[in-house]
Amino acid sequence: MTDLLSAVPGALAPLLAHAAHFAEGTRPGGDALWGWVLLLTPLAGSLVIALGSVPGKGAISERAAGWIGTVAIFLGFGAALACLVQLQGLGAESRHITDGYKYAQALGVDFRVDIFLDPLSVFMALVVTGVSALIHLYSVAYMKSDQGYRRFFAYLNFFVFSMLLLVLAGNMALLVVGWAFVGAASYLLISFWYRRETATAAGIKAFVMNVIGDVGIVIAAFLLWSELKTLSIPQLLATAEDPFSVAPSTTFTVAALMLLVGAFAKSAQVPLHTWLPDAMEGPTPVSALIHAATMVTAGVYLIARFFPFFELSETAALTAATLGAVTMIVAATTALVQTDLKRIIAYSTMSQIGYMVVAVSAAAYSAGMFHLMTHAFFKALLFMSAGSVIAAMGGIQDVRKMGGFKKAMPFTYVAFVVGSLALAGFPLLSGFFSKDEIISFTLNRGGAYAYIAGALLVGAVLTAFYSMRAVFLVFHGDTCEPARELEGGQLHHGDHVNPATGEHEDTEVGFPGADHHIAEREPEMKIAMGVLALLSIVAGALQVPGVMHSIEHFLAPTFEASRYLEVEPTHGEEYTGLGIGALIALAGIALAWWLYIPRRGVTARLAERLPLAHAWLANAWYFDKLYDAAIVRPVAALGRFCDRIVERFVAGGVIDGFVGLARGGNGFVRALQSGLTRAYAALVIFGATAVALYFYVVAR
Amino acid sequence: MTGLVILLSLPLIGALFAICFPRDQVASVAPIMTLLQVGSAGMMIWRFKTTDGLQFFVDEVWIGDLGIHFALGVDGLSIFMIALTVLTWTVATIAASLRPVENPRLFYFMLALAEVGTLGAFMAQDLILFILFFDLLLIPFYFLIGIWGQGDRRAATTKFMIYTMAGSLLMFAAAIAFAAISAQQNESTFSFLFIDLIANPVGASTQKWVFAGFALALLVKMPLPPLHGWMPDTYRAAPLAVLIPLSAVVAKLGAYGFLRIVLPLMPEAVSAFDDVMLVLALIAIVYGSLMAFTQDEARLVVGYSSIAQIGFVALGIFALDAKGAEGAILQMLNHGIVVVGLFLVIGYLADRAGSERLSQMGGIARNAPVFAALFLIVSLATLAMPGSANFVGELYILFGAFDGSFAYGAVATVGVVLAAVYMIRFFQRTMHGPGGSAESRELDGAELGLLLPAVLITLALAVYPQFVVTRIAPAADAALQTIELPGAETVTEEKTESPAGVPRAGQGRSKPEEPVQ
Repeated sequence: MTDLLSAVPGALAPLLAHAAHFAEGTRPGGDALWGWVLLLTPLAGSLVIALGSVPGKGAISERAAGWIGTVAIFLGFGAALACLVQLQGLGAESRHITDGYKYAQALGVDFRVDIFLDPLSVFMALVVTGVSALIHLYSVAYMKSDQGYRRFFAYLNFFVFSMLLLVLAGNMALLVVGWAFVGAASYLLISFWYRRETATAAGIKAFVMNVIGDVGIVIAAFLLWSELKTLSIPQLLATAEDPFSVAPSTTFTVAALMLLVGAFAKSAQVPLHTWLPDAMEGPTPVSALIHAATMVTAGVYLIARFFPFFELSETAALTAATLGAVTMIVAATTALVQTDLKRIIAYSTMSQIGYMVVAVSAAAYSAGMFHLMTHAFFKALLFMSAGSVIAAMGGIQDVRKMGGFKKAMPFTYVAFVVGSLALAGFPLLSGFFSKDEIISFTLNRGGAYAYIAGALLVGAVLTAFYSMRAVFLVFHGDTCEPARELEGGQLHHGDHVNPATGEHEDTEVGFPGADHHIAEREPEMKIAMGVLALLSIVAGALQVPGVMHSIEHFLAPTFEASRYLEVEPTHGEEYTGLGIGALIALAGIALAWWLYIPRRGVTARLAERLPLAHAWLANAWYFDKLYDAAIVRPVAALGRFCDRIVERFVAGGVIDGFVGLARGGNGFVRALQSGLTRAYAALVIFGATAVALYFYVVAR
Repeated sequence: MTGLVILLSLPLIGALFAICFPRDQVASVAPIMTLLQVGSAGMMIWRFKTTDGLQFFVDEVWIGDLGIHFALGVDGLSIFMIALTVLTWTVATIAASLRPVENPRLFYFMLALAEVGTLGAFMAQDLILFILFFDLLLIPFYFLIGIWGQGDRRAATTKFMIYTMAGSLLMFAAAIAFAAISAQQNESTFSFLFIDLIANPVGASTQKWVFAGFALALLVKMPLPPLHGWMPDTYRAAPLAVLIPLSAVVAKLGAYGFLRIVLPLMPEAVSAFDDVMLVLALIAIVYGSLMAFTQDEARLVVGYSSIAQIGFVALGIFALDAKGAEGAILQMLNHGIVVVGLFLVIGYLADRAGSERLSQMGGIARNAPVFAALFLIVSLATLAMPGSANFVGELYILFGAFDGSFAYGAVATVGVVLAAVYMIRFFQRTMHGPGGSAESRELDGAELGLLLPAVLITLALAVYPQFVVTRIAPAADAALQTIELPGAETVTEEKTESPAGVPRAGQGRSKPEEPVQ
């Protein structure tokens, strides 16, 4: 139907190159077979849907496209499980597999397509495919009436492939490929409703910001290559883990900082974060999958992946932790006053990733990855629930217009509350354990990290407050018109308008579909949300201080060389942390309840009384305005200056002068226009001499 | 006679054959004849041996008294350029044949003549032969733009001729002087063969002014600012079918000249002027990018983006590092292919919007999903999206540049980001948005048939760049042979341990900062 084939760019590469790998007669996939299956199944899904939606005899139906996409990801999840089983069968010292082939290798640059399976990459792959599979299932129903249904699934499958490429990459250059593919998939999905100008503007912003990140990783790749003469990630790690083969150096610090540029651009951390709130222009399942659960956590994964280099450079690690904490505070405070439901959750995402960044920078790797996983569950759940509410509102996202959905949407209500409580760190839910583990570990590192841990505690109050604020605004309070209609059995379909600008839209290709779908009426949505709600409640049990340490044990082989392996809080300290965390969460929740249920209206008066503070937060600390004034406008102005002034002067300059001169003399013009004449020859030599003189001056 | 001579003469034979047909059938016969060249070029790639260096060598003494030889040969540097030439002209010929042209016999003859000139320049192993072909191709372009062009074509062709002829004349003079001085200083026989000239180097001071002559001609052709003044007018005036080869291939001839002639023959001058050239390359990257995102005319978006891209190629060449040269050669090929795609796309867009101005387009994706998808692939490849062969080229160029001087490489990365800005802007302004008066229509069979091969080649290169990378590597090394310090370790293909950033002779540039151990 629509620009379906867009999912293909370069994506064929690994598939066909794998064939080349066999043709070369080198060792075939062998023991990494499940890794390749894991990587290529989503790609195959994407290609089948893309090619199958070219109008014609072979075209597949819309429903089929949705299910092909969903099944492909479930198969991928199965392959990830197989990888897990395979890895667990290996001894702890050799629990990793690398496999691949030459891609563009010459002159000492070993650019290869290698996949690297180890506990960390398989852990990520499990989270990515697991959450993706559920979101695909949700989308089967949620996107049902959209004209770009097949295109949507082709993109979504392509995204999962890209994300797996990023996660499994065993070569720095291939990592950049996965990194950029993910950015491209994100761009395609943000601009999915491409007739909306707000969506295309958000798309280009996200794309450019992500390219800045790509460049960071390319530079890091060069620096590591120039020091260690390889791009192979396992080899780089093995060298850096060995304290006798490397010493801290400026090069490693710069390389680690460049990795951070990539990580921060992708994970929307200050100062490269401004694209994420705008990315909410994409369909809500995209926000759930890419801009909450998986892609934006890639930066956390990157820091954990290259942990030996961050341990080699205290500067880089502390920079990362500090900026992570700053992001956490900036985003959490901004979330307090946002009025767009999706933007509230988006700022919450930024802030939670701040927690993870602090964790992996403070060498609390398993805590960071644990929070990454629980966050993927409850944040995906929150977005799915938000999608359901927005559908019930007929596409409106403004929380001020919502209210009283509790009775009309009981299932969505429960799901949203579970997600919010898990996010707020309500005792015994998943977020409670994962967040407090981060705080305990960070505090335990001492020094500057103690201050950061303090900031994390402040952030925890804010988190509890803003997450419950959304619950009370949307589901409690005065019942809004759409909620009342829904109670009467009537799903509200208002005017089709762009929620950002209020412009009216028709529902043909390139705009959201005509119909809306809520969880209460769609079993696929219900199943996906139900599973995630369950996981949001129980996943915390995987890692309970003194009781269960599944994640820590599973990831141990990856991080066994960490210099901070023995630096960890005692169980007593952790229990104290849990106690304080519980109090903080309950306090935040209670405050939100008090301000939005019995004392409703207080916050509005507060905002009126403190207009500057409110504007500061509503504008997200004015980062957008700053970048606009400091970068976007000057560069655009420079472009116009080149176009209007420099170009005419430099390029026109000499030769235009001669042509103009020639035009002045009438007879000369006729000679000129009669073709190649002697006059021409004269002009040519004259011009040649002049330009030669000019170059002579330049060359000196 | 060997295959190269056949390949070189095939365009003319084809054109002369086509001309024998009645006037209204010429346009049908000419494209078919170009397909013969595709087969011939395919054979050449098939028989090419990666490790053999210069191959299919033909050497006939032409004008013995003057030491001019009719010498042709192919190596890793030229093989893909020749293939690109054939491909581009085939596409251009077919694209031209889809619309009626006035005086088709002359048109197709001129088009073929231009191809012969280009092929000859890529094959020539004799300096005078190179310059002859290099100048020969200008004449047909002059007529192609002057007669079949649009707008203010007279002024445009005049400007084009003045710029390029000025350079060529200087290069011609410099070449003769170079050979004479070479023979005199080394007391060798007078010869223009590259191998003889490399074997008999001239003094540094001679090299410097000879370099100036060559550099001028080649920079104009590429073109690098500030010598690009002919580009906007020529691009506006040229018919699309003529613009495709002009932009995709002829522009690369400038970069090729540096690698084939300037680097091996004038190593000391290259070392001396290295920084000047690198700064010019960086200016091209930044200036071209800035211009590309301010343009409203689609052709000029591509035109200025090509300046930025050729700036990357120049950066790779003057990084004086085998990795940079490898990337430069690869990028010449990659960029040639995407430019073919981009100009085809511009033609299709103009058909739908009735104008080539971005401000008149928008929303074209709506009913044209396949068109949008193919255009997107070409756009992403152009901005060197990782996963494309263009990224491999850019990566090698950046690695080479970083190895030489970290600062130069760092400035170049600005161009990487700006490329994303101007290409995505180009794609969005045309395909996305609420849509204006532009008609959204899917590609028809002929349009698809022309664009698809370019896209498929882009994808194939993205899938397995190793095929090209391996074949280029020895040539990248060879281009820098004379520049390396005597006794410095040479980097050979597939060698994994040795850093390619070995110190070069007599240059003032610093090595990358040594880490504090």
